[in-house]
Amino acid sequence: MSRAIAILFQTLLAAGLAPLVGGFIRWVKARLNGRRGAPPWQPYYDIQKLLGKEAVVSRTASWIFRATPFVVFSTSLVVASFVPLVAAPAGRFIAGDLFAAVYLLLLGTFFLALAGLDTGSPFGGMGASREMTVVALTEPTVALSIVALALNAGSTSFSQIVSRTLAEPAAALGPGHLLAFAALFIVTLAETGRLPVDNPATHLELTMIHEAMVLEYSGPYLALVEWGASLKLFVFLALAVNLFMPWGIAVSLAPIPLAIGLVTFVVKIGVLATAIAVLETRVAKLRLFRVPELLSASFVLALLAVLSTFLAR
Amino acid sequence: MFSQLVMLGSSGMLLTALIVLWRKHVPAYISAYRLQVWLLAGVTATVGYFASDWRLFAVAFVLVVLKAIAIPALLRTMLRRFGAQPEVRPYVNTETSLLIAGLLVLFAYVLARPWMAVTDLPTRDALPIAMGLLFVSLFVIVSRRKAITQVIGFLMLENAIALLAAVGTYGVPLLVELGVFLDALMGFLVMQIFVYQIHETFDTIDVEQLTRLRH
Repeated sequence: MSRAIAILFQTLLAAGLAPLVGGFIRWVKARLNGRRGAPPWQPYYDIQKLLGKEAVVSRTASWIFRATPFVVFSTSLVVASFVPLVAAPAGRFIAGDLFAAVYLLLLGTFFLALAGLDTGSPFGGMGASREMTVVALTEPTVALSIVALALNAGSTSFSQIVSRTLAEPAAALGPGHLLAFAALFIVTLAETGRLPVDNPATHLELTMIHEAMVLEYSGPYLALVEWGASLKLFVFLALAVNLFMPWGIAVSLAPIPLAIGLVTFVVKIGVLATAIAVLETRVAKLRLFRVPELLSASFVLALLAVLSTFLAR
Repeated sequence: MFSQLVMLGSSGMLLTALIVLWRKHVPAYISAYRLQVWLLAGVTATVGYFASDWRLFAVAFVLVVLKAIAIPALLRTMLRRFGAQPEVRPYVNTETSLLIAGLLVLFAYVLARPWMAVTDLPTRDALPIAMGLLFVSLFVIVSRRKAITQVIGFLMLENAIALLAAVGTYGVPLLVELGVFLDALMGFLVMQIFVYQIHETFDTIDVEQLTRLRH
């Protein structure tokens, strides 16, 4: 029973906090640029406004276009319900492990690309083709970094990985762990459309990837797509902090560890979001044809992570 | 703890070599090289601390003075003289060279397996990384066109050998170490003169030009 409540609470927490993370990154970036910036909770107003608007759908659009926002949002929500956020009790939280999480998120991306193609607008097709290029190049990295983590822990289950890192803090300083973290961080930036790969702040038609795919959406649909995208960023950040730096996470469902877990979780996410904001102010967007270089670098990092855990024993 | 720190330092050194394959501008190579030397000095000092061998501290100190301060300064002078043009298209493009570097490290792991099976040094996990660094630096030398990048590849190769000595045998005798330093420094100075000459004669430091007869 307490498990069911915990899952419900965690899902609500993720859905509630996700827009704040995106807004927080934007706010920190604005401050670093010397602007005042919109408050961090601005995305909530945006979502509220969009939900109240009428949705305009192209006459040539099929059911895929209408279904996609729900697929994107619900896959992110399902993943958010079983990744460790505040607590990682022993055994599976509910069904689902690292593979399920990553590939459910990929399902959302796949539908988004289909929806981009669906309306037949040139920008949608362009965005879809670019997104698929990026995703196809990140996939090997994702699979390899999962393998690196799973080899360390002997299992792909979240709680196993977390408890293993908690039991052996020295292993978290090992190259396998750090390299896999670096690889997964680059993948996070690529898959969630952050700066060196895609610029989330502009609608410049020559460079946009994510924005080009969702160009045709309006009203509540757009709200769902944006919310789903921020949820995806949130889940990726949560995975990064909890799998690689799990200290402070609650291993049981008692109130006090849960409270500590909540506070440390918010702090860790805040630190990582600030790091992303700093990174985004410092680097320029890569030319599209240089993105494969970045992604092959992340692939090599993941490969080295696997090598140093697998071959060095 | 000891083996973790050594592993961390050596992996960092390997990553700095990958930076050279990835970035396109010589100043980035120079800072990558400097970082690599600091890491090497860190690894050497760590080995010295845990093996309680004061000579390794001396080696680390000389490393910092000579390679982290003097040689980068010389490289910068060289760069000022030629202007900072980006690396002309290397023989192998960036994606492929990164993947090849990954394969080279894999190869190093396979090669080092029997060696790792017979030693029980606490630093044995870093042996394949040092060998991987050796191969990757060699690859930098053969795959880049500009003489200055090849010089940096050579310097990294020399770092790899020093790392191998530090983790494989806890450092060679101080006298040998000093000899190697002087050797590397002389080699570097000779190469610098060569690069200047190439630049004087051909107006470029793209070594591709050397395959053609001038007159």
